[in-house]
Amino acid sequence: MGNLTTADEDKLSIANKKLLLQNEEKEKKAAELSIANKELIFQNEEKEKRAAELIIANKELIFQNEEKEKRAAELIIANKELAFQNEEKEKRAAELIIANKELAFQNEEKEKRAAELIIANKELAFQNEEKEKRAAELIIANKELAFQNEEKEKRAAELIIANKELLAFTYISSHDLQEPLRKIQTFVTIILDNEVKNLSDKGKYNFQRMQLAAQRMQQLIDDLLAFSRINSTDHKFEETDLTRIIEEVKSDLRDTIQEKHATIEIGELCPVNLITFQFQQLMYNLISNALKFSKPNIPAHIIIKSRIMKGSVLNNDRLAAANYIKNNDNGEHEIFSDQKNYCHISIQDNGIGFEPHFNERIFGVFQKLHSKEVYAGTGIGLAIVKKIVENHKGLITATGKLNKGATFDIYIPAN
Amino acid sequence: MSLKKLDILLADDDTDDCLFFKDALEALPVFTKFTAVHDGEQLMQLLTDEAKKLPDILFLDLNMPRKNGFECLTEIKQNKKLKNLPVVIFSTSIEQEVVNLLYDNGAHFFIRKPAEFALFKKIILFTLKLIMQENVLKPEKENFVLSIEHSLIV
Repeated sequence: MGNLTTADEDKLSIANKKLLLQNEEKEKKAAELSIANKELIFQNEEKEKRAAELIIANKELIFQNEEKEKRAAELIIANKELAFQNEEKEKRAAELIIANKELAFQNEEKEKRAAELIIANKELAFQNEEKEKRAAELIIANKELAFQNEEKEKRAAELIIANKELLAFTYISSHDLQEPLRKIQTFVTIILDNEVKNLSDKGKYNFQRMQLAAQRMQQLIDDLLAFSRINSTDHKFEETDLTRIIEEVKSDLRDTIQEKHATIEIGELCPVNLITFQFQQLMYNLISNALKFSKPNIPAHIIIKSRIMKGSVLNNDRLAAANYIKNNDNGEHEIFSDQKNYCHISIQDNGIGFEPHFNERIFGVFQKLHSKEVYAGTGIGLAIVKKIVENHKGLITATGKLNKGATFDIYIPAN
Repeated sequence: MSLKKLDILLADDDTDDCLFFKDALEALPVFTKFTAVHDGEQLMQLLTDEAKKLPDILFLDLNMPRKNGFECLTEIKQNKKLKNLPVVIFSTSIEQEVVNLLYDNGAHFFIRKPAEFALFKKIILFTLKLIMQENVLKPEKENFVLSIEHSLIV
């Protein structure tokens, strides 16, 4: 250090000064450190206090933890219970969903039904109105019928009176008219027997004509009486064998049958409920007619048959229907009851027949198609036949062609 | 014919018919006593007259004044003394119901008066023969009405 220069001294003074400053600084820091130390000691004490408090707090926490674990275990059990209940509820919910859907469906159905009922109700209301209208119409129709009924009763009363008069007439013609006529005939025969030698040829001829005229009048009265007797309908119906009736008629007519070389063919016949003696008369009239109107020089051939037929079938039979409508033009087009059975009897011949337009007229009283010189008769036979059929609530039609024979079809209600 | 004289009574109000009957009997080969009455009351008086002998046969018309043939027939058949007398109904008209009623009331035969005199005679002769032959027995119903056909068969 011996050679120190001013510059060196300056430098040392500055370093001294610096060291001094540094010292001062270190002392300040030592003081600060001491303060900080005291502070740390105080903080330490505080921390120990805190640790003691923490130990206490820890114990408390452990206790609380145990309690919480217990609670947790309980909660687990409670949770399981809730889960079970939840499942149950879900099941119920599912069931309810299904039930709900069902109800919704039923609801829809009910609404549809309700809608339908509304329509049906309207329909019923409409029908009700219609029925009321009908009822009103029926009341009017009823009044009309009541009126018609009264009229019919009046007519019936008139008819009863007319019938009584007719019966009186029948009695007069049956006895009182016949008596003088018979006497004329008897006197004529006495004159012709005993006085023949006193008569001129012209006189004899005139007596014979007188006798014929009287005989004819007798025949007319007899036939007219037969016709009026057929009127009475209080005869009993019995099941009758047509074969027997026809055989009896054949026996009555055997002479004519032989004379005409006639064959009477009896086809299938069904039993039927009839007034027997009236039907005997009917068969007699129809068969003797067929014989009478047979073609000269050609053997008469008569075919008689019968069978049971349903009304519906006969209604379809146009021929019968057409004939009937012509005969009974009163607007009734249902001729036979569809459900009823009818005995259809037909009598067919190969005789001279008749022009088709006479098919109704031949049933009229005193209706003849030939002069009595050609074919004898009074024209009552078929009128009697028709009346007998009507007594049986039946129907008769005649079908003929000139020179092609005739067929009589009879329809009698059968049981 | 029998030698016995047949006692014939006719009840008929008609003069012509009585005449025909008388003429017929005269023309027929029969031996008869003929009496005619002209109404039912006369007939019943005659039949019930104790002093008079009964006829062998009565021909009875139905339509007569005062008492008709039906009433007479009923009275005859209800009377013990008269009921065996053969009664032949002799009438202009024939009606089945009437015929049935007469048969049931006991008449023997029914004849419809024929219009021809020859037949008139025939049927009377036939009836008289029948009454004699049958010994006054009442016939079956089917033989009750006598007709010309019957008389021709015998």
